[in-house]
Amino acid sequence: MLSQFSAIEGRSFGYWKLVIFLGVLALMGLGAFVAVEINGHGITGMNNKIAWGIPHVFAISLLVMASGALNVGSMSTVFAVKQFKQFGRFSAFLAIALLIGGLAVLMLDLGRPDRLLLTVMHMNFRSMFTLNVFLYSGFILLCFLYLWSMFEYQQFTKVIGSAAFLWRVILTTGTGSIFGVIHAREVFHSAITAPTFVAISLSSGTAISILLLVTTFKRTNRVLEDKVVFGLRNAFIFFTFLVAYLLVVEKFTRYYSPAFYDVQSWILTGPYAWLYLFGVWGATIIIPLAVLFNPKFGNSIGGVMVASFSSIIGTFAFVAHLLLAGQSYPLKMFPGYEVSSAFLDGQVATYTPALIEFVLGFGGIGIAGVIYLLGIKFFRMIPNEAVAPEGYELPWNP
Amino acid sequence: MRSLPSYPARFPLLLVLVWAIFVLPSVVLASGTPDHDASANSHPSYAGGPPQLEKAKGESCIRETEWMRRNHMDFLKHRRAETVRQGVRIRSESLLKCAECHQSHEKFCDQCHGYVSASPDCFECHVYPK
Amino acid sequence: MTMDRRTVLGLGGVAAAGVALAPGLTLIAAPPPDKSEASGDQRWAMLIDVTKCESNCTACTRACRQENNVPLFGDPTRDIHWIRKLEIRDKDHRRPSVSLPVLCNHCENPPCAHVCPTEATFIRKDGIVLVDKHRCIGCRYCMLACPYKARSLVYHKTEFPEGGNPNVPIRAKGVVEKCTFCVHLVDDGKQPACVQACGHAGHKAMIFGDLNDPKSEIAMRIREVKTQTIREDLGLKPHVHYQGL
Repeated sequence: MLSQFSAIEGRSFGYWKLVIFLGVLALMGLGAFVAVEINGHGITGMNNKIAWGIPHVFAISLLVMASGALNVGSMSTVFAVKQFKQFGRFSAFLAIALLIGGLAVLMLDLGRPDRLLLTVMHMNFRSMFTLNVFLYSGFILLCFLYLWSMFEYQQFTKVIGSAAFLWRVILTTGTGSIFGVIHAREVFHSAITAPTFVAISLSSGTAISILLLVTTFKRTNRVLEDKVVFGLRNAFIFFTFLVAYLLVVEKFTRYYSPAFYDVQSWILTGPYAWLYLFGVWGATIIIPLAVLFNPKFGNSIGGVMVASFSSIIGTFAFVAHLLLAGQSYPLKMFPGYEVSSAFLDGQVATYTPALIEFVLGFGGIGIAGVIYLLGIKFFRMIPNEAVAPEGYELPWNP
Repeated sequence: MRSLPSYPARFPLLLVLVWAIFVLPSVVLASGTPDHDASANSHPSYAGGPPQLEKAKGESCIRETEWMRRNHMDFLKHRRAETVRQGVRIRSESLLKCAECHQSHEKFCDQCHGYVSASPDCFECHVYPK
Repeated sequence: MTMDRRTVLGLGGVAAAGVALAPGLTLIAAPPPDKSEASGDQRWAMLIDVTKCESNCTACTRACRQENNVPLFGDPTRDIHWIRKLEIRDKDHRRPSVSLPVLCNHCENPPCAHVCPTEATFIRKDGIVLVDKHRCIGCRYCMLACPYKARSLVYHKTEFPEGGNPNVPIRAKGVVEKCTFCVHLVDDGKQPACVQACGHAGHKAMIFGDLNDPKSEIAMRIREVKTQTIREDLGLKPHVHYQGL
């Protein structure tokens, strides 16, 4: 078993260039955090209507992808898909890296990050945030144990892997419920918000695994059999359909009820319509499916990469749409009335993100990236060669 | 395939990385941001011993001076939680009453806080009447 | 014998602890005569008679800013509003517009307190919903949860205003704040600043009092006239009632 995996060499100029690039991103993120801490949130673009802005888009997208990154491992451990077993270590480790990156952004954007310890000293168990504190820390712990068992104690892998799979479903439900349970906001108050988060974490997690696996194998000159990638591709197509299904059901249910005509038409025609149509539908669903169902592109690694990349962009768009459109749509305090005030009641909120918010957000990506790159250099995460089992045929090809 | 260094040799590096990610921000936080005028707190030299505090105006403090010297911070914090969360108000012992005897924040509070380099942020929001 | 020795040691420990704690005990020894505490016997509430509220009058909002040192930053998207005047009009413009103040509704089931991870937002025993600004971590989840937009994050550093009210602290940047029902006045048996100002302006559109006291004006009015709360459908049971909406 030991001989199957090896750490990457990581001595090349390209490798260190990448590490330094991501490290600089991470440091710039920390710099942005310090700047916001000193000057207050006045230097961001956020305001009293859009209280959660671009940093949260990055943070929540990373958290969603983190739980999704565990897919590849779960597929082998829980659902016994043999050819993915070799990616188990990669998958659990990537999940930890992305989760730390996302959590860092979430914490560094607090108004009073110096009081972070209060979240563990005074807990309000009715708050989704408090529950998420347990879900995130538990997830990191389970992923770590899962990783450990895959390295040393394989007899426990099945048990821990199953627990981690169960936990990641609850975790993503918890992340989605941060929004789903808020009754005041028409755009995202829905029982289906959390399941949609689970689905989109499945698709985006698989997408980022495909991207990183192909890139890592290519850059380290290791063999990654196309058939294995196409296996992931098929799973990815299935997950994308799942996302599309949930999005359609949500829209259908809302549009059936006249009470939601206003908000739903606003989503499709309002200032964030482009994000919904091109981001959520275009990048998450239409582009990946169009590419992957094309016999030429769908059967090429390049095509699969494009589809995966598009899906990741789409995940950011999904979270951004949910957050920004959800907060800008005016609160319906007096249904059926026009409202106006000095506090901009009854108006769609405007929000121009500041550069510093993006810097903070990319800082999270930098942190996750550096952890991943150093992890595969110092631990035996990546198999020497990834091939499908003897006689394995893909059940479907475009 | 090349030979692999054992885990222990590589593990510290990862530890350092994780340490850097979590500890560096907290160092930045702990060092704090000097929001108010730092010169009020800093004293040029303490060669002549501890600073002399301004004499209080009234006859006696609400607690013994010795006890207050040691415990005023916990006392204030305890009261703070009670007042905010349970609405406990003792008019004769409110924070604003301190200023009736200890009339100058600069000549009383800041002197000692500067000496022991304590920088409470109470009065960034609360008013200490002059 | 060993047991005895242990007992002796234990007694010594207790005595030492007693000596150490004794000074602290003065804290609870004798409650001062001027002490008061929020009590569950009371349930503070407000009634706003919309028919008496005048459209161009801002007495309540100005009084609130004065009393609570609430600053204006000059940026309408980030200004802090504890109370604001709303103009509402039916969409077909068939009826004249109605003017009314909106403030924190001090709900019995406050979503802001439900979502607060550190219990910085809490309900006092007498029903007032407060933000403990010493405990707020600035996560802004409450701002998403509040259906009344009653909350503001402090985006900029604020200064104590000229001629400000020393009884109310100003705010640190990075925490969320909102209307307190002028809790410092209520605890002294006074009326909130907006209610006082509305009376002084001669409108008397706002009354404030204890719902649990059947003889209070607010309890009687709520029994006698038809009142509403904003977004009753959410089940939050707000304590700001409106008459003539």
